[in-house]
Amino acid sequence: QFVPSDPPPPRRPLAYAEANESEEEKQFRRVFQQLAGDDMEVSPNELMNILNRIISKHGDLKTDGFTIESCRSMVAVMDSDSTGKLGFHEFKHLWNNIKKWQAVYKSYDRDHSGTIGADELPAAFRAAGFPLNDQLFQMIIRRYSDESGNMDFDNYIGCLVRLDAMCRAFKTLDKDNDGTIKVNVQEWLQLTMYS
Amino acid sequence: MSGIAAKLQQNRARAAGIGTNAQAVKFLNQDYEALKRECLECGRLFQDDMFEANTSALGFKELGPNSSKVRGVEWLRPKQLTSNPTFISGGATRTDICQGALGDCWLLAAIASLTLNQDVFARVVPPGQNFDGDYAGIFHFQFWQYGEWVDVVIDDRLPARNGELLFVHSAEGSEFWSALLEKAYAKLNGSYEALSGGTTTEGFEDFTGGIAEVHELAKAGPNLFKTIQKALSWGSLLGCSIDITSSADSEAITSQKLVKGHAYSLTGAEEVEYRGELTKLVRIRNPWGQVEWTGPWSDGSTEWRQISDSDREKLNSKAEDGEFWMSYSDFLRHYSRVEICNLTPDALTDESVNKWALSKFDGNWRSGSTAGGCRNFPNSFWMNPQFLIKLEEEDDDPADNEVGCSFVVGLIQKNRRKMRKVGEDMQTIGFAIYEFVGKRNVHLDRNFFVRHASAARSETFINLREVCSRFCLPPGEYLIVPSTFEPNKDGDFCVRVFSEKQAEFQELDDPVKCNVPEIDVKESDIDSRFKNLFGQLAGADCEISPFELQNILNKVISKRKDIRTDGFSLDTSRNMVNLLDKDGSGKLGLIEFKILWTKIEMYLDIYCKIDKDKSGTMSSMEMREAVEKAGFSLSNPLHQILVARYSDSNLTIDFDNFVGCIMRLECMFKTFNMLDKDKNGTVELNMAEWLNFSML
Repeated sequence: QFVPSDPPPPRRPLAYAEANESEEEKQFRRVFQQLAGDDMEVSPNELMNILNRIISKHGDLKTDGFTIESCRSMVAVMDSDSTGKLGFHEFKHLWNNIKKWQAVYKSYDRDHSGTIGADELPAAFRAAGFPLNDQLFQMIIRRYSDESGNMDFDNYIGCLVRLDAMCRAFKTLDKDNDGTIKVNVQEWLQLTMYS
Repeated sequence: MSGIAAKLQQNRARAAGIGTNAQAVKFLNQDYEALKRECLECGRLFQDDMFEANTSALGFKELGPNSSKVRGVEWLRPKQLTSNPTFISGGATRTDICQGALGDCWLLAAIASLTLNQDVFARVVPPGQNFDGDYAGIFHFQFWQYGEWVDVVIDDRLPARNGELLFVHSAEGSEFWSALLEKAYAKLNGSYEALSGGTTTEGFEDFTGGIAEVHELAKAGPNLFKTIQKALSWGSLLGCSIDITSSADSEAITSQKLVKGHAYSLTGAEEVEYRGELTKLVRIRNPWGQVEWTGPWSDGSTEWRQISDSDREKLNSKAEDGEFWMSYSDFLRHYSRVEICNLTPDALTDESVNKWALSKFDGNWRSGSTAGGCRNFPNSFWMNPQFLIKLEEEDDDPADNEVGCSFVVGLIQKNRRKMRKVGEDMQTIGFAIYEFVGKRNVHLDRNFFVRHASAARSETFINLREVCSRFCLPPGEYLIVPSTFEPNKDGDFCVRVFSEKQAEFQELDDPVKCNVPEIDVKESDIDSRFKNLFGQLAGADCEISPFELQNILNKVISKRKDIRTDGFSLDTSRNMVNLLDKDGSGKLGLIEFKILWTKIEMYLDIYCKIDKDKSGTMSSMEMREAVEKAGFSLSNPLHQILVARYSDSNLTIDFDNFVGCIMRLECMFKTFNMLDKDKNGTVELNMAEWLNFSML
């Protein structure tokens, strides 16, 4: 019943992909080029700068800013070639998710505190496509919320990016759709250490 | 994580046989059978929205949207070009391939050679495709791409101008397999223009999955003619070319009608009796389908009158079809190199020919972990992936006076052509081979390479897609170390070994193990000073929360001038609490805190010892050593991940990241061992369990 977002599309040869972009995509690529620099890859530091620059413009989102640790984690769960950086497609995928989840955040912060409280969280996560059980919600609150159980914007995004990636990873590995996955120790560590 | 999961799934699929010629990977997930059925059911011709018939499919620069070269181009289906198109008529022959307005003669020469071997041809051009019966405007072809076979689907709209095909076409203009094959290859590479300029060896390999060697004719050994004959009889594909001395020379035609900087196929090598002596001849084909050599032994030349009728009949060649004979000595004088593509055993169904044994491995170089650079960099060279090959049996070729085991090693870098547009070009790559005696499950360290000289190596380090060399060494075990020239260059590669006899091939890597000692502390072992300290830090609840722990660690660490850190993150202190929190309170009690403290002191000690230059940080190259000192044995893919996850952009690892990494590593090993109840080395999880453990 989990609904992780669709994986990034298969990679097209760049020359072709570029030539067939819509105007909006072209514009996004130009922005990406400015952000990512010559190597066309986004490092955790670059990601942190981008995200913090943007949330500083949203006064209604309470946050103490994205930390480098949480940005490293976001890059890790999205990165597909263990270079520690995100390419254009991965970044775009992340970006679209963040936009989507930001809207959820605003509409489920019912008391307009700027944070998602423990009581608001299950509904917000369900709306974002993650109908977890209570035990998992408890775990997430313990792990990602502050001492009084409130989740601010950066932790909320960091948590959802991870959750989405974990669900996607599970679906990818559960090829026969039997609801379980099997991993050996190397695979286990590759998955869990790179998150 | 999700990216890694996709990689793991890909590895599993590969292990299950996906990517072999029989089970090719579907390019862009397009399924030929399904798409065709769909088209037939709704009665329309296939239109490929993944490679649309528009200017961007043609190119980006010379054939780009604003270029005059693409003016007036329209996309037409074969039935719009000719009244009676065929896919293949009278078998695929070399004359079906005439070059169009694209500098892809290298590719055409490779396609031409392909037609000489029906088995190989049928692998690239799946049989049963045609323009009648169940025609639906859809075709498919299979190519070898960096270690696996890919099935590429296309529609049959082809670029034409004034009713004529712009690119490859058959001599008669009604046979379309070659033009469609070119389109499929263009799709695989992004556009037609992406095909211009390349080497025949690339085309050879992509059509066969074979391994291509290059022989410079200026340095031709006495056995080369034999090698060529042997290669032809082994079903290998051969190409040859003449170097240009300047760019103006490209496709310049000599007075004897040879074309410089142009890719020819070499299709025959025979000896005939001429004026009482055996004379060596080679047969060569110009992919243009015309412009032939006019010197001795050319079509209709006087030499042909002086050989026996049977020889003449055997070698018969008169037509202006681009194919001609010349003497081997003229060949050596005029041509610069010959390229030989050795085929894999599965490509050769003919039982009478000899077959190579093939071994292959995929690997990658990553900055800071496995991109060690070449032997000029002894401090990092050992970090490259290492492969072991065991050659047990000598060749049994009586004509060959070389004794030993013959093998060809090819190192191919992946996906670089597609990146061409971003300016990322080839890495400079090569490999070294060492004699090896020792244990199989250990990644060799610096000491081995300092003490041992290499037994052989690739001829040079070069920025080509592939470097390849042939060796003949005594039976024994050998270590192959592929690398980029300089350290810290990211790249993916596939290393292949073709050997005359079956050979064992494996990667040398450390096993994945955790040997971290358990620290056992009793309350009575803890001195009163530590107890007091704990009391002050823990406050009223007598336990330390992750939030408190973060504060404590940062206070302590900020006093140390010898280590650099940007402070412990909350995540790291949470990891520490998770690792040590035995009673599940989410906080640390006195004993748990004491154990943590002992560990941190231990890690601090390792960190300072590894940081030899006292810079306060550790380079990511030193991480491998540090992780081992801390009690872990990890494989290459894991070392790569640790560096990608925990190093800074300048490839250093500061103290908090180091501790965070080690603690999480220990925690994840423990979790795995706890889940692996029957100790069979694998764990099975459902979604909720998976999230429960991985979200921590």
